[in-house]
Amino acid sequence: MKNLKFLLLALPFFFTSCEKDKIEGPSLNNLYGELTILDSLNVVGDGADFSVGENIYFTASFSKQVDWQVKIKGLNSGSVKIISGKSNAINQSNSTWDGGSTYLPFFIAEDCEVELTFEMHDDTSYNQLNIQGEKEYNDESTVLITDFENGFNPNFTGFFQAGCTKALTIGGAGQGINFLQQFGTCPWDWLIGYIDYSSTFWFDQQGLVNDPSQVYFNIMINGDSTMSQVSNVPNSLFKLEFYEDENGDGYYDANTEDRYDYEFDVDWNGWRMVSFCYNDVEKLVLATSGGNAVRNPSKISNVRTLLLANPDSGPAKADVDFLIWSIGKPLLN
Amino acid sequence: MKKIYLYYLSSLMLFPILAQSQVKSKLWYDGNARVMYNRDALEGTLKETDTVSTRSNGGGFTILDLGFHFTPVDDIEIFSEVRLKNDFGGMWGNKSFVELRRLSAKGVVNKKISFSVGDIYLKQTKFTLYNYEQELSEYEPSVFKFYRDFVNYENYYQSNYWRLQGVQTNFSYNMYNFIEQLDFDGFTARIRGLEWMGKPELLMLGGSAVVKLSNKINLGSHYVNTFEILSSSNGTVAYYNPVLNTQLSYSGSLKDIPYKMLLEGGFSKRGWDGDSLAPEIKGYFTKASIHSKSKKGEINLGFRYVDTDFRSIGAQTRRIDYNTATTSYPYYSNNYMQRKVSLLDVMSDPNVYNQNLSTSLMNYNPMYSCVSPYGDATPNRIGITAEVDNFNLTDYLSVKVQAQYFSEIIGQGTTNKRSFNKSALHSLLSLDKLLSLKNSFDLEGSINLETVKRDGEDFEKIDFNSILYSGSISYELIKNLKIIAGAKVFYAEGNEFIAERDMYDQINDYSNNTYDSKETILIGGIQHHFTDDIYFTMQYNQFNVLDKTNTYDEFSMGRLIFMFNMNL
Repeated sequence: MKNLKFLLLALPFFFTSCEKDKIEGPSLNNLYGELTILDSLNVVGDGADFSVGENIYFTASFSKQVDWQVKIKGLNSGSVKIISGKSNAINQSNSTWDGGSTYLPFFIAEDCEVELTFEMHDDTSYNQLNIQGEKEYNDESTVLITDFENGFNPNFTGFFQAGCTKALTIGGAGQGINFLQQFGTCPWDWLIGYIDYSSTFWFDQQGLVNDPSQVYFNIMINGDSTMSQVSNVPNSLFKLEFYEDENGDGYYDANTEDRYDYEFDVDWNGWRMVSFCYNDVEKLVLATSGGNAVRNPSKISNVRTLLLANPDSGPAKADVDFLIWSIGKPLLN
Repeated sequence: MKKIYLYYLSSLMLFPILAQSQVKSKLWYDGNARVMYNRDALEGTLKETDTVSTRSNGGGFTILDLGFHFTPVDDIEIFSEVRLKNDFGGMWGNKSFVELRRLSAKGVVNKKISFSVGDIYLKQTKFTLYNYEQELSEYEPSVFKFYRDFVNYENYYQSNYWRLQGVQTNFSYNMYNFIEQLDFDGFTARIRGLEWMGKPELLMLGGSAVVKLSNKINLGSHYVNTFEILSSSNGTVAYYNPVLNTQLSYSGSLKDIPYKMLLEGGFSKRGWDGDSLAPEIKGYFTKASIHSKSKKGEINLGFRYVDTDFRSIGAQTRRIDYNTATTSYPYYSNNYMQRKVSLLDVMSDPNVYNQNLSTSLMNYNPMYSCVSPYGDATPNRIGITAEVDNFNLTDYLSVKVQAQYFSEIIGQGTTNKRSFNKSALHSLLSLDKLLSLKNSFDLEGSINLETVKRDGEDFEKIDFNSILYSGSISYELIKNLKIIAGAKVFYAEGNEFIAERDMYDQINDYSNNTYDSKETILIGGIQHHFTDDIYFTMQYNQFNVLDKTNTYDEFSMGRLIFMFNMNL
């Protein structure tokens, strides 16, 4: 009995003898530890042919969880793909690349340099890879309006002010070889020029799904970030108008059918892909005496692109290439 | 016969006095009176370099806390305490205040069940509801005690009770079979009232049941649940924190030395109903201790395990709130720098103290308390304690010693765990006894040492230590009039990580703080005791806070203080 009393005192030790091996709070090593590259950057699947669905992924491991970035740059095209993440290892699950671009133009069959960098750390690793076949963006989940590779379809009508330029140009395209140059100065009107891309003459003739939340419009635009001397805002204003032929008679009637607009400043230099969901168009123009006020992408009969600029502010520029609809997600995800 | 007459005569004369003693007064008074005046002045280089702050500032007040105890019937007592305060410098009623400091009623139902309502003082166990002492107050020499009494009184700290508002009741049953006695205690308190468009009401509900199985064995269970009433606000989230503590104690003797063993353990749960982001955490604790008392002194040995996720609002709320502004020179230097709470404020400023229970872990400063910032209920600790109290080496020298060694249960941000050491020593040398002097002549000294260490890589290493040397001397010049002098010198050096927590107490970051600090407090003056509870003291204090890391400018201040205290 006497011993039993003292055994009771020892009871807490038994309860607490189990060691816990987890840690409380975020890892200090991840926050303040030195970064050591345990396994250097490796390319798996080098020489992939993206046109047939092949992939490339990267492997590396580090001594701590870190914000990393893999930058792939095409040595000929100049295209850039950025893959980033936060982990202590780069592997197939977080670095698989299907040949897509982050910054235009698109990759072509070429050699690329690969650079691995880290946030808050100076360490950098390099590697190289080769692309055997470029990624095919136009597939069953897209509807291509035009990529100008077969020239400018003369059925795409439009108007450009006198002295302003609309010209099919070879070389320096965002995708492929050809693109459409658009630039000029118009001191008497905001409009530099517009082009109607009637759905009758789209490259792909399969219809769009009618769910506006699933339909994305994508267009490559090459800007020069000209700033207005008057208002000190970007000089080039780009506008897209989507015309819906709601009654299916082959014509758009402004009095009875819907038109949706989307406009933005072209305030960048070089090629950039502009993508937006048809559900998120900024401005809804309702017909004065009709229109169902519902976005019906399957009824779009015409896409008009307009280049605008303040007549007092000088030249404007917005070349275009690769106008394409994508379903479910933007073209460059 | 003559003797009988004398008896009758004596009885007749004493009858009014005897009769008076049988009549209980309906109204009686108690309370506290205090007069305090202090003048603070910048000193040292700061006096020359600081051209923004005032050279000195001062203030004082007279306070009379008058307690009225009214007993309308024998079993009921109504108590109210009214504070009359007059700040020095006011005139014609300006800066004069009258406020209700306490209002409560207590009584006994059928001479069996006692109850208290209103402002009540509540304490349970060290893991459920307990108001732990402020840091570095342990083993403090007695010449500093007047400051601590002042701070504690102003903040309603009575022993380790929390002052709350609610209802409390207790009763006990005596039995004569297997169980000797049953004691029950229950209470409910309103921790936080209604807030306009704010948080819901916060209530605390608690109860204890202690079973006395024999003269040697007690079994007790204590429960506290703190929770928000969702319907009292427009919100959709309600906090809850139930804590259970079970205790088993055994009293016995070994070779005629009495001892008491205590074994306790319990659980806690803490979460927010209606908040999908809030984690519900469950933690537990266990503690074992053995205490023995002899003529030479007392000894206490213990073991403690408190889980990382143990949360108890009643036991983990801290007295000092480091986020508050200090009363003396809250800003100083030409940079108008905010002065952080330092040892001088911990010792003397009642305004840096907290009177409300906190639903989340309050901040602490590892410089002053890094081993057990939340007392015994500090989460993530496992370790042993040893304490020798009132150990009389001779009739003129007594010492108190304690040592604690703890480790983290799981590491913070790393698998390496901190190890903690806390040691303290206090000695009292009665020179009057040693030198056979007529007047009292006491010499006191104490050391409080805390260390924290963690091994590992450079980025996670911790090596921190703090040490407080305290000493005092008091010599009775003439009867009850003493000359007193005291000193505290505090050093903190090294580095320690402070965990930064989100609104759910989860750690989301750390700050690695480097310390190299020296603080000095010197006091000297006279103290006269009319009785134990009635005294005045007049002193000059000198404070210096030097941060050698140059994060903060050096702060030096002198203080002339007069205090008259009278407990009615």
